[in-house]
Amino acid sequence: MTNASNANDLALLYRVGRGDRGAFSELYRLYQPRLYGYLRRLLPDPTTVEEVLDDVMLVVWKDARKFRGRSAMSTWIFGIAYRKAMTAIRSELRYQAPLDRSTDANAIADKTSPDIDWIRAALVHLSPDHRQVVELTYFSGFSYAEIAAIASCPINTVKTRMFHARRRLKVLLPALAGQAREHDREHA
Amino acid sequence: MNTRKLMPHEEAIELLPWLINDSLSGDERDTVLDHARSCVICRRETKALENLRDSVKRVISPAPIPAPDMRNINARIDALIHRQNLGRRWLSWIAEFCVSPWRIVFVAQTVLLVVLGTAVLWPTTRNAEFTTLTQSQDLADGHYLRVVFSPDLTHARLGVLLDDLGLAIVDGPSERGVYTLATQNSMAVAERDIALTHLSNHRSVLFAQPVDLGAAP
Repeated sequence: MTNASNANDLALLYRVGRGDRGAFSELYRLYQPRLYGYLRRLLPDPTTVEEVLDDVMLVVWKDARKFRGRSAMSTWIFGIAYRKAMTAIRSELRYQAPLDRSTDANAIADKTSPDIDWIRAALVHLSPDHRQVVELTYFSGFSYAEIAAIASCPINTVKTRMFHARRRLKVLLPALAGQAREHDREHA
Repeated sequence: MNTRKLMPHEEAIELLPWLINDSLSGDERDTVLDHARSCVICRRETKALENLRDSVKRVISPAPIPAPDMRNINARIDALIHRQNLGRRWLSWIAEFCVSPWRIVFVAQTVLLVVLGTAVLWPTTRNAEFTTLTQSQDLADGHYLRVVFSPDLTHARLGVLLDDLGLAIVDGPSERGVYTLATQNSMAVAERDIALTHLSNHRSVLFAQPVDLGAAP
């Protein structure tokens, strides 16, 4: 993020903190696509996504004054979204049958060609923490330091989570690893 | 000449996901790339991660993003502001009211009167709002048993059980399904205790407890 856009973000948030509804509307429109995409990839139900998104933005409205600028504003907002998403994911996991997940995992590993369903299913089989790290890295493009700030955990924890997520995905998606090997052979 | 310090393999391979999302700082990026140039495993891993990233992006990105709809969030903010304003109005009313010391004295006096009045008029003894298993319900002094039977115990089997132990139902069931039992000689504590042991071990008895009313043990 450039210094100029960070300064614009801060100015916008300052106005929100002073109760400026116009500034809040601007901020909402600025972040809604990114937040919606982020939450939609983590939560299966669009209605839940919209509820969680509104929860996040309500916290932004209430706590805008408390933001001290120690991180980028996007990191702060995604940190709120991360915690709200984790709560929603955990409450959804509570109602899922654990047997379904293990059965699907075997089916995924048996697949030999990549298609949309099995990659999606493989992601579902990651733990919420691991999935968040994969999501924040590959989709949202955050650095490991930013992810550590978003998830309120040490940098090494982020690296460890990513390491485990990669290992799990390799088991669940052997075809992708195979593709990489073939590619290597072709270009050797 | 390259003066950069070589990065250990474990450290480099950990950073590959952030190399491919282009978020490593310049120095860090160069160090990882230096390592990857001479490391087959890291090159292979980078390729695998790129494949994974591309596949994952292809899979999940098509979800359409709806146009921003702020009706719900605006309603929630309105409600929040309304609550905050209400609180502020109360505070300002209290602050305004307390400007005069006579008003404070008047309020303090009123509160004191209400507290004293309540203390004087409040009944000193109140009926218990719950009943306990040991509360007597017009039973004569003696040694009793309070028992809860399993709901699957039939009337016939209950009769046989009570006959075997020489017990009779003298009270109950209460709202909680508690029966009060007594031996034929309600003053004999030893007899009652033998019956208690049997009842406690019986599979159709959920709960059994001795109760002594007025009688010496």
